[in-house]
Formats: sequence, structure tokens, C-alpha cells
Amino acid sequence: MSNKSTWLIRAIAGTAVLALGVTLTACSTASGAASNRPENVIHVAVYGDAGNTVEEAMVKKFNATSDVKVILDRIPGANYQQKLQTIISTASAPDIFFNWGGGSIQPFVKADLLLPLTGMIKDDPKLESSFLPSVFNAAAIDGVPYGIPMRGTQPVILFNNKQVLTDAGIESPKTWDDLLASVKILKDKGITPIALGGADQWPTLMWYEYMFDRVAGPDLLTKAIGGDSSAWDSKDSRAALTKLKELIDAGAFGSNFDSVSFVDGGSPALLRTGKAAFELMGSWEYSTQQSADKDWTAANLGYATFPTVTGGKGDAADLVGNTNNYYSVIKATRYPDTARDFLKLMYSDEFVQAQLAIGNLTTTTSTEKFLDQAADPTYAAFQFTMVQDAPAFQLSWDQAYPQSASADMHTAVAQFFSGKLDVDGFIAAMQAL
Amino acid sequence: MTRSDTGRPRHPGGPNAGRPGFAWALPATLFFALFAILPLIGVAVMSFTSWSGLGNPAFNGLDNWVKLAGDKVMMQSLWLSALLTLLGVAIQTPLSILLGTWAAGHQKNRAILSAIYFVPLLLSSAAVSVLWRALLDPNFGLPGQFSSFFGGDGNVLGTQAGAIAVLTFVGAWQFTPLHTLLYQGAARSVPPVLYQAADIDGAGTVRKFFSITLPQLRNTIVTSVILMVVGGLTTFDTVLILTKGGPGTDTTITAFYMYRKAFQSFDFGVASAIALVLVIIATTISLVLVRVTGYDKMHSVQEGI
Repeated sequence: MSNKSTWLIRAIAGTAVLALGVTLTACSTASGAASNRPENVIHVAVYGDAGNTVEEAMVKKFNATSDVKVILDRIPGANYQQKLQTIISTASAPDIFFNWGGGSIQPFVKADLLLPLTGMIKDDPKLESSFLPSVFNAAAIDGVPYGIPMRGTQPVILFNNKQVLTDAGIESPKTWDDLLASVKILKDKGITPIALGGADQWPTLMWYEYMFDRVAGPDLLTKAIGGDSSAWDSKDSRAALTKLKELIDAGAFGSNFDSVSFVDGGSPALLRTGKAAFELMGSWEYSTQQSADKDWTAANLGYATFPTVTGGKGDAADLVGNTNNYYSVIKATRYPDTARDFLKLMYSDEFVQAQLAIGNLTTTTSTEKFLDQAADPTYAAFQFTMVQDAPAFQLSWDQAYPQSASADMHTAVAQFFSGKLDVDGFIAAMQAL
Repeated sequence: MTRSDTGRPRHPGGPNAGRPGFAWALPATLFFALFAILPLIGVAVMSFTSWSGLGNPAFNGLDNWVKLAGDKVMMQSLWLSALLTLLGVAIQTPLSILLGTWAAGHQKNRAILSAIYFVPLLLSSAAVSVLWRALLDPNFGLPGQFSSFFGGDGNVLGTQAGAIAVLTFVGAWQFTPLHTLLYQGAARSVPPVLYQAADIDGAGTVRKFFSITLPQLRNTIVTSVILMVVGGLTTFDTVLILTKGGPGTDTTITAFYMYRKAFQSFDFGVASAIALVLVIIATTISLVLVRVTGYDKMHSVQEGI
């Protein structure tokens, strides 16, 4: 072999390694009929994190009385959705799997991989009636239920540093104008008004979710997700974007938010150290701050609902965020009855108490009477009232849309904030999803 | 160092002299066929299909390619890949040649310093990226401490120029040691007799470097540049961790865009098409480099000594 072709081959090899990654997944297509599924066990796949202790306890309890055993597969959290999509149509797919409802399961329903839960609910109506309706319905696709709520709800809340607010002589803003006024006061004091982990992009998205709700009401998104992309070009949509732009241009987020990350601990640290006054974040901000500084969190972490916008169509009590996590069942499962019995545990008192104890806020109708057993009863009660009273709870856009849209959505969201896209550019990008 | 083929026996090290037969290359060839050629064919086929990872791929003709040709982010990604590669070559080559020839000396301090300098290469790219990401945090990292040096607000990764500079710097920080090592080895094998002759002729250090060392390193330069080009075009991990292709799509290079299409948007057809484009470009560049530099003729730089 001449040296010329050795070099050619080495050059190809370098690049072909990349291609390999793409094809490896291509090799894993096989339909998962019940016949080639494991016997006497069902696999339950969950997002692997600190919350797994409760799931383990539930599985242990279930296995004590069941002939068909449950095996809990903890999938490491990063890229959970990608991993799921890779295995779900194979013979090694889990029988029951953790998801976020909405767009996160919609492609699976379309591919006819999931079991409609209508039959199970007929057998045991409590599988539906035990949960808050707004939460239960977020995992229904075209009116057919595909998910049973598990773990907790994670609404997005406007957090603040109480100390910074006191020093600046302001309160958590009730209206949009209050927020703009606070931004000005804080900026004059040299404090970044709002901490934003722009490098992660999804924290930025939360601002759109609330702005669109407050200005245009929850219907706009329902329309847009339903396929009517003209909703993005409506007057309300433009009004929401203009308001948002006003806030960005007022310097509310400082100038370097694109380099700050929530995941790396950057934006929570800004809030905690008093370099920023507010942060809009999911309810997990509480446990994030708590693990960094318990005393500070107890004394200084404030929380409030998102401000109202005068003249807007959205209700001041509307929420956005992760409505809940859900368990869905695949059609190919060998033991649907076992799956049903396992899912019944999700509304048991024991489950609710265990979740509350580790800081998750369950959405069963029974949750209220156990609130005083929560890790932080005041915070849990605040959230539960919020969720219970919310006329609409919009699932995060990146989870309401099919997963395939999320990368482009995140890019558009970040580019509008950094000024690379104007209102028209953003609308065009959202319409192209 | 010109070569004349007339009236002179073949050089003992010339082509075909005592080279092992094809059988020696068999294990490598099999491995290569199984893990590179085969997947490559799979990717080529997939680039004409539409597949989300669920169900079976469906052929859709040239749809993916048409989509790609009109895709602004794709076109931008090719320029960005080229830019990052060129920056990498332009910065790493002179640095590593100078360091390599310096480290070729046998003094003890040089050995110690080159060992220390070698450390970044031992770290995984992922670890290196995470490390630099933490160091570059605008509020709690280096820019927070030396704000004037990082342009005021420390928004290093938030601007296109800043993000590209960081990627180039981190790439150079990590890979210059490898190329330094190549040059060190090559510089050590330069026959001392050449320098002795130059000394007699009264040549200075600079003259010796340009007239002896550099020409002697010619083949190593070609090797190193090809490695840098192919490595640059396939850079991925640093982008994924340091910038995630951002801000916006400002550092979305082709390899990262392929990942985004495949594993975030689940559009494996388009991703395969991008992979194929990368293969074709990298192969062409390598071939052209090999041809243009005359590397394929395998002329020894020591011929006639």
C-alpha cells in the first residue's frame, strides 16, 4: 500500500469516526412486540437524580406483593430525552418511562408506541380523579390520556434576594411597570437587576413564556402548538415581544448574560451573593440555593408570582413551567395489568408523603392535607395554592413542542435577547419550527 | 536536495525497497473497513432518507440535500469550520515549531519544562472545556477579577469574536504540545553535521534555523498541518461544552451542527448528509495538501547527506 493511500485512508478515518456515531443508532431499529419482551419483569425507566430514593422505595414496596417484579432503570439525567428516543422503538424499551407529558411523548404517540390509558382508568377511575385536572390533562394527546402524574410540579417563580430588595427599598413587583421601575433603581445602585443564565438558553425561554401568557393569554400558544403558525405573527405576539425588548433594552439582565450559566451555578450565585436582585426560575431554584447555602436560603430567598401586565389578556394567576412529570406505558408491554397496579401507587398517601419529604410537590388532590410534612411547609403551601388556583398552566414551550423543535427554538430565543434577531426575525424563526 | 533519476542507483530507502506485503496491512484494513467504511456507506444511504429514530427510515430522494443547500446555518457553519481550522493552523504551527526546536536541546531545564508543557495533552478535551468554562465565568471567573483585560463586562462567550477566540485559544492550549512533540522528535533527528558545517561557514542561529532546521522539518510540517486540518474540521467536544454553538449559532461549526441535527432535532437524514459533506471536504483537503506539498513522493529531506 503506497503512502499516498495511507494518508487518504487516515484522513477518511478521522472524519468517518464522526459518522459512526450517527449510524450506531441506526442499527437499533426493531419493533418491540410483546413476544420478544422479558418475562416476569417490567422495566421502569426514570430520570436519574437525587429524587430516585422515593422511586426505589415504591418499587421495593410493590415487589413485596407482586409476582411480576418491577426493575427500576435509572437513566443518567443529561440528554434523557435523546436516550429515550433511541431505545423506545427497540426490544429493550422500558415498559413504563418517566417523561414531561405534552410534546415529549407526542412523537411516540404518533409512532403508535404508547398505550392509551383509557382502559386502565376504566378499571380504576382513581388513576384520573386523584390528580389535579389541569395537571392530568397536560399528558393527554388529542384528548386521550397517556400519562399518570408522578414526582412533582415545577412552576416557574420569580425569586428574589430579600436583602437586596430591602437595601434598595423596593418590593417584588406586582405589575410590569413596577418591574421596570425596580430595574432602574437597581441599575443605578450598580446591581444587575435580574440574573439570567443565558448560556443555557432555556432560562431565557421562561421570560417569553410568562410574557406571552400575560400579554396574549394562554390561547396563543395552544394555537401555535396546534399548528397555526400565524399566531406568532398576531398583534398580541408582537406586543409581548415589544414589551420584552423594552425590558432587555432597559438593561434588566445586564450585558453579559450570554456568558452566564444556571447549570454551572453562575446565575444562582449572582442572586445569592447579592450581585443580582431577581431570578426567574423553576421551583428547583429553592433546592439549588439550599444545597449551596442553607442558612441564606431560609433567611433571604424570596419568591413571588410573575407580575401582571396592564391591558394584557392573561390571568395574573396563570403559570408556566413543568406541569409535572409523568409515567407513560408502552404498547408492547407484556404485563399491562402489572403496569396499572404499579401506577396506582402514584396517588397513595405513602408516595405523596415521601415526595413531599424530599421537596417535590405532588399534584394529587390529597396533597393539601400533607403539606405540613413538606421539607419547607411555607414554600410547599405557596406553590400548591399557586398551582391549584391557576386557570392555565402552560407547559414549557420546549417541552410542549416536539423535541425536534427545541434546538432551533432555543437559538431564536437567545438571538432575540442578544439583539441578533428583531421582532420579525424572531417571529419568522418560530413559524419555521 | 534535488533528485535526479538518471545515472544513479536507486536510493536504498526508496520506494518498494524491502517493503512488507499487503498481508501486513490486513488487520488494520479489516478494522478500518468494519468501523469506518461500513458506517460511511450506511451514512451515505441514510442521507437520502428521512428518519427520526422512531420506526424505519423512509427514502426521500434529494430532499435532505436540497434542504441543506438552502440552509443558512449550514453555509455559515462551513465558513466557521474553515476559520477555526485556519486560526488553529496559523497559531499552533509557528508556536509548536519554535517550542519543538527549543525543546530538542538536551539541557535538563528544557526536559523539565517540556514535560510540564505536555500536561494539557494528557487531559481529556471534555475536562479541558469544563475547566475553561469555569475559569471564564464573567462574574466569578478570571474576567470577574481582571475585567479590563476581558473587555469590561467579561462577556467573553457572549460575543462571536470572543467565543471564537476562546475556542482557538483552548484548542491551541491543548494541542500545541502534541505538535511540539512531533517537531521535537524531528528536530532531534537533524544530523548535527549540517550545523557543524554551517558553523564553519559562519552562519548565525537565525540563519541556521531558516536554512537548516526549517527545511529539515518539511515533512513534519506537512504531517502536523494535515493533523491540524482534519482535527480542526472535526472539532466538536470543546464547542459542545464551551459555547454550545452559541451565542445563537455564532460558533455552530459543521461537526456541531451535525450533532444538533441528529441528536437534538432527531433529523438523522440531514445529519447524515452533513456528515458526508464533512467527509468529502476533509478528504479533499488532505489529498490536496499531500499533492501540493509533494509529500506523497516521500523524498527524504536527508537525501544526499
